[in-house]
Amino acid sequence: MHGERKKMFRLSELEEDALKEFFNMGLGMAADSLSQMVQNEVLLTLPKLKVVPYEEATHMLMESQEEKLVAVRQNFKGELTGTALLIFPGNESLELVRTLLHEDIPLEVLTELEQETLLDVGNVILNAFLESFTQMMSVEFEFESAEFLKGSSRFLLDISSHLAAQKQSLMEGVNEDDERAFVLMMDFKTSDEEDTQHTLSGFVVLLFSQQAMYILKRELEVILSNL
Amino acid sequence: MEKKMALIVDDSSLARMMVRKFFADGFKDWDLLEAKDGEDALAKAQGQSLHLALIDFNMPGMNGIDLAEKLLEKQPGLAIHLVTANIQERMQLRAEAIGIGFIKKPINQEKITAAMQGVAG
Repeated sequence: MHGERKKMFRLSELEEDALKEFFNMGLGMAADSLSQMVQNEVLLTLPKLKVVPYEEATHMLMESQEEKLVAVRQNFKGELTGTALLIFPGNESLELVRTLLHEDIPLEVLTELEQETLLDVGNVILNAFLESFTQMMSVEFEFESAEFLKGSSRFLLDISSHLAAQKQSLMEGVNEDDERAFVLMMDFKTSDEEDTQHTLSGFVVLLFSQQAMYILKRELEVILSNL
Repeated sequence: MEKKMALIVDDSSLARMMVRKFFADGFKDWDLLEAKDGEDALAKAQGQSLHLALIDFNMPGMNGIDLAEKLLEKQPGLAIHLVTANIQERMQLRAEAIGIGFIKKPINQEKITAAMQGVAG
């Protein structure tokens, strides 16, 4: 069993395609919620999916990112264990708060509201997103409470820190051979057609534990065998 | 009975497989043309007389709305539905504005049946 686990985890082209499509539907639902909150259209990019070693995942996520970021982290556990991250460039998070509150609020008050507001947004978006997985697959998992994180991209996109957080909260931790991460990324930004001052962008990242990756693969095989 | 022709355009193989299965299960009097993006769709639709087109929005290259407009230029009155995970109101309005239908993913048999209501002939 252990030897089997050590084998390189691979998804077939079709499985990868299916997972991207589920991801796409999840973010579609999440974007609809965000769109209602900011009263603006949210533009979505095509999903990217990679199965890579953690170090490479961290490197990939840091590419072209700004120095300072804010994130809402939502760990989930159960049949599927992993971490969902909603990430905004640090200089855009206050803009999102301003957009959500629909008011001209002084900067110092905005800063006070930043954490609370972004946690609310993260909660809505990430839950909508993750629930789409449960609708399409017979997997169950629970959400832990969302956390607000703010810091350098190196800190926020360091996959090992998120895994460490999972380990702490899950007690059982992850296996030693959990050397690869499932990274699903999708960028979004609000439409800037009407008001260029209120454009904001961000991205969603999903990281799954090695065990979750095998469960997902099994579910995908079942779904695809029925088509 | 002469078979009808539907064009399915989606960059996701899964999405196309799902539609194909629904047609195979419930609509045997239809032939399907499948394309993975807008360019592919235009090439495959060339010279064909289509009865229905189900088109994804978010694809590499041309988006679904732009493709729908091009198909309508070639075949005015064609029943086209945008089939998308992007379920925002703006997207629905955009589809409405060019006179095409809007179907929220995931697609199912009922949604395809409803889309066929507008098919001529």
